[in-house]
Amino acid sequence: MKFLGYERPDGSAGIRNHVLVIPGGLLAAKIGDFVEGTKTILTADSGSGRTSRDRETIARTLIGLGRNPNVASVIVHSAGLGTGYPELEPTRIADQIARSGKRVELIEVAKEGSTFRALEKGIQVAREMVHEASRLRRSPCDPSQMAIGVKCGASDTTSGIAGNPVVGYLFDRIVGAGGTAFFGENTEIIGAEHVLARRGVNAEVSRRILKVAEETEARAKATGEDIRTVNPVPANIAGGISTLEEKSLGAIHKSGSAPVQGVLEYGEWPPGKGLYFVDNWMSMGSIFAGYAASGAQLVIFQLGGGGWTDKDLLSTSTAVVAPLMWTTANPKTLAVAGSCIDFYSGGVIENGDSIEETGEKLLQRVLEIASGTLVKVETIKHVDPTQIYLKDSPF
Amino acid sequence: MLAEADNVATAIDDIEPGTDVPVRLGKEVRTVKALERIPFGFKIAVADIPRNADVIKYGESIGKASSDIKKGNLVHIHNLEGARGRGDLAKGGSR
Repeated sequence: MKFLGYERPDGSAGIRNHVLVIPGGLLAAKIGDFVEGTKTILTADSGSGRTSRDRETIARTLIGLGRNPNVASVIVHSAGLGTGYPELEPTRIADQIARSGKRVELIEVAKEGSTFRALEKGIQVAREMVHEASRLRRSPCDPSQMAIGVKCGASDTTSGIAGNPVVGYLFDRIVGAGGTAFFGENTEIIGAEHVLARRGVNAEVSRRILKVAEETEARAKATGEDIRTVNPVPANIAGGISTLEEKSLGAIHKSGSAPVQGVLEYGEWPPGKGLYFVDNWMSMGSIFAGYAASGAQLVIFQLGGGGWTDKDLLSTSTAVVAPLMWTTANPKTLAVAGSCIDFYSGGVIENGDSIEETGEKLLQRVLEIASGTLVKVETIKHVDPTQIYLKDSPF
Repeated sequence: MLAEADNVATAIDDIEPGTDVPVRLGKEVRTVKALERIPFGFKIAVADIPRNADVIKYGESIGKASSDIKKGNLVHIHNLEGARGRGDLAKGGSR
């Protein structure tokens, strides 16, 4: 069950080998134009007018992306988060990432004299980093060094009876081998929170799971709309899902059966290995970058139906440094979006294949991808903007 | 079927009325006669479910029967209501 990864100084293992330039903005974009092999995060939110809780979330996301094992080295520049908030100080972000032992360079525009001089330095440093990274070789790594995150979407009956349980099997195998796995989507445990809470590793974790459901519901109600009059959505009902309970019970199957070790905030680094529930937002523009900031090297979108085509799948690679793998158990989805689907689990329904044998095949595919095989959407040079999950209103 | 306690199963093909449907739970297969058309992805009752009884899938309640459901009936929003988040009921309203 080994995979070929890049060993990092902190004992983690990358499945990719990127140089990350943060925050986003002009400097990062232009360095990316010039230098092959760099990544950056596209996001409009610089923290201005945000509460300290939300500023900390932005900082945590940037730091987590920098720490992610798929990142060989990092450039932090001072031309993006210039709002003066202590949480977002570039020196703080650079220092926190550097604790992982990887090379981090801070480029300060004021010190360089102008943005163009900073850009020149950034390009040279990035070239050096990319070249250094290219000298690393993949070596056999243990599955305990693996961390994955999952989201399910456009869920239908195929998700609940095949797609999600197959991903759940993968989760059990990775967690069983000492690895780490993340699932979340705080709106989609409502109706199944009692089932999930039973899986808390202790009473405190169970209490926190119930609290997430309660708080999410309270926030939804504060908007004046009862979330549960709109969920399940009409497309779910047309696909055979009758109630929110049914949808949520199907959704939590993607987490497998391991005990839940803890509840994390968006982008929070886990305190240990195992399965974690993340209090995050279901938006695909947000959730995957959060998982990557929690250290996931690979993220999975388990797709139901909804008539999505390959165009919809291609434009959503928002995990910044972690490849996005698409799975589905719906034959109609496979037919229209096949060029972007990395794994099909519909045999469970069509041929009566077992969840276990199909899950083993998914595990093998994940290990191949972890060892360097590209996910389908990695062949496209496009990344959509990321929406960091901020819970408070801007002021 | 997904769990022993379930009283509904999911159709993995379109089912015509009168069909003797093989219902699988793990390796065990039982037969239920479909009383009406059950489209792919929709649920068929594998036991009689009286009004107000829990409809069980995944071994858990997914809501209450809003009318008497016969073994072989389609189970969906016309005879199954979510029990959670019913603000209308919580405030003393009636359905």
